[in-house]
Amino acid sequence: VSAVDWTVLAGTLALIVAYGLWRARAVRTAEDYLRGGGLKWYTVGLSIMATQASAVTFLSLPGQAYEDGLGFLQFYFGLPVAMVLLCASIVPVYYRLRITTAYEYLETRFDRKTRQLTAFLFLVGRGLGAGLSIYAPAIILSTVLGWPLQVTNLVIGVLVIGYTVSGGTRAVSQTQVPQMAVMLGGLALAFVFVLRALPGHVGVGDAFAIAGSLDRMQAVDFSLRLDTRYTFWSGMAGGLFVALAYFGTDQSQVQRYLGGESLAATRLGLLLNGLVKIPMQLFVLLVGLMVLVFYQFHQPPVFFHRAELERARRTEQGPALAHAEARFGAAFRDKQAQIDRLLAARRAGDPGAAAAARAGVRAAEAEGRAARAEAKRVIQQARPRAETKDSDYIFIGFVTRHFPVGLVGLLVAVIFIAAMSATAAALSALGSTTVVDFYRTWRPDRSDAHYLGAGRLFTVGWGVLAMLFAAFAALLDNLIQAVNILGSIFYGPMLGVFLVAFFFRRVRGTAVFVALLVAQALVVLTFALTAIGFLWYNVIGCAAVVGLALLLQAIRPAASSLTRPGAAA
Amino acid sequence: MAADEPAAGTPPEPPRDEAPPVGRSWGRLYAVVVAWLVVTVALLTFLTWAYR
Repeated sequence: VSAVDWTVLAGTLALIVAYGLWRARAVRTAEDYLRGGGLKWYTVGLSIMATQASAVTFLSLPGQAYEDGLGFLQFYFGLPVAMVLLCASIVPVYYRLRITTAYEYLETRFDRKTRQLTAFLFLVGRGLGAGLSIYAPAIILSTVLGWPLQVTNLVIGVLVIGYTVSGGTRAVSQTQVPQMAVMLGGLALAFVFVLRALPGHVGVGDAFAIAGSLDRMQAVDFSLRLDTRYTFWSGMAGGLFVALAYFGTDQSQVQRYLGGESLAATRLGLLLNGLVKIPMQLFVLLVGLMVLVFYQFHQPPVFFHRAELERARRTEQGPALAHAEARFGAAFRDKQAQIDRLLAARRAGDPGAAAAARAGVRAAEAEGRAARAEAKRVIQQARPRAETKDSDYIFIGFVTRHFPVGLVGLLVAVIFIAAMSATAAALSALGSTTVVDFYRTWRPDRSDAHYLGAGRLFTVGWGVLAMLFAAFAALLDNLIQAVNILGSIFYGPMLGVFLVAFFFRRVRGTAVFVALLVAQALVVLTFALTAIGFLWYNVIGCAAVVGLALLLQAIRPAASSLTRPGAAA
Repeated sequence: MAADEPAAGTPPEPPRDEAPPVGRSWGRLYAVVVAWLVVTVALLTFLTWAYR
C-alpha cells in the first residue's frame, strides 16, 4: 500500500467524519437526537441500504461469488416483497403512533413488560452485533494492512463514536448518503478495473461463459431440494421472513425510516431499497465473479490468507504444503488450456467442441479444488488454531495486489466506511432504545436537555462496549459463528411478538409476554440440546411465540386481559 | 416524552397522524416493485440458462 493510497484512505475517511460532525451541529433537542426526522425519501432509502451494507458485504460477497457463484443472490428475493408488506401494514401504524422505537408500539398494543423484554432482547443481540461489525473487518484489514488488530479496532471505533455521539439519529442517516455514494462509486470503479484487467481477447460474454463452465453462473435454482441452502423457494420464503424481522423489528433499521419527513418519504425510501437491493448485490457478486475469471489467466495462491500460508510454510509441514501447491499449479495449467479451447470453440461456433472443453474445465476445476482442500488440511496440521476459511481474503487480496495506486486506498476506504455506517446505525439505535424504552420510563418528567445528554452518554457507553467486545473477541474461537447463533436465538421470538401484535388482535399482553419467555427458553434449549441448524432457530422461535400466545389467550382469556381492563377477547 | 417543541433552525415536524389506507397510487407503486422483482428473476433465470 503506497503513500498515495494512504493519502486517499485518510482523506476519504476524514471527509466523511467531517461531514458527519458538520451535520451533527444542527442537533438541539432530544427528539432530534433520538428520533431524527425531516429526511428526504432518497436519504431514507440510501441510509437503509448503507445500514445493511456492512464491511462484510464488501469483504465476503465477492469471495462468496468466487467460491460458489451467484446463487447467494436468491437470499434477497424476498426483500422487495417484504418492503411492500411493511409499507402497507406496519409503517403507517408506526407513523400514526408517532413512536421513536419499534418497541414503544408494543406498549400501546400490549403492556410495558412486553415492550421492555423485547427491547432488552434487541439490546443484547444488536450490542453483540455492533462489536462484531467492528471486529470482523478489523481482523481482515489488520492482516492486509499490517496494522495491529487493536489499532484497527480503535480507528473504526473512534471515527464512528465521534459523529454518532455528537449528532445522533439524523446525523447518522445524513452521513450515510455520502458513505453510500463512496461505496457505490468505489464498487463501480472496481468493476470497470477488473474487466480491464482481463486479457484483451476476453470480452464480457467470454467471461460469463468461463464462469458458466466453472458452474458459477447459476443465479436461480427452482429445485425443491431442502439440502441446498439457496434456492428460489428458500429465498422467497426464508428471505422474506428474515427481511420482515430485520426491517420491521430491528431498531437500527426502524430508526432510519422513521426519520423520513413524511409517511410518503418513508415508503418511497423503503421501496427504493426494494428496487435497488437485488441489482446492487448482483453487482457485488459480479465483481467477485470477474476476479474469478481474472484468476483463470493469472495463477492465484493455493490459499488466500497469505499470512497463514507463509506461517505454515515455515513449519515442518512446508514440504506437504509445497506438494499441494504443485498439484494446484498443475490443475491451473490444465484448466487454462481447456479454457483456451472453450474460447476457440465459441469463436468457431462449434457447440460440440465447446461442450467437450466445458467438461475439461470442470474436471480441472475439481482437481484444483481438491488441491486447495489438501492445502487447507496441511495448514490446519501446521497450526490447529489456523483460520482455514480464506474466502474473505480473496477480494481484498486482489485489490491490494492488482489494483492501481490510488484505487487501492479508495477500496480500503470503502470497507472502512461500510464498517462505520453499519456500526453508527447500530450504536445510535442502541442509545435511543436504552433512553426511550428504559431510562425515560424510570426517570420520567426530566428536561429535554437531560434526555439529550442521556442519549449521548448511553451512545458513548454502547460504543465503548462494542470496542471492548471487538478487542477481546480475538480470544474466543469461532466467534463469528457464536454471534450469528446468538442473533438467530433472539430474532425469531422478536418477530413472533410483532406478528402477534399485528395479526392477532385478540391476544393481550400477559399471554404474549409468557409466550416470549417460554419461546426464548425453548430456543436456548434447542441450541443447547439439539443439532438443528441455527437458521431454523428463527422459525422455531417465531412459531413458538405465535402458537403459545394464541394458546394461552384461548386458555385464560380473562387472566390475560387483566393487563387491559375491559379488553377481554 | 421528549419535548415536542422544535428548536430554532430545525424543520417543522410534518403531521404524523396521516396514515391512510393503501391508496390507488401506492397500490400501483407496490405493483411496480413486485413487477420489477419478476423481471429481475426472469432475467437472472435467462442468464442461468444461457451460461449453464
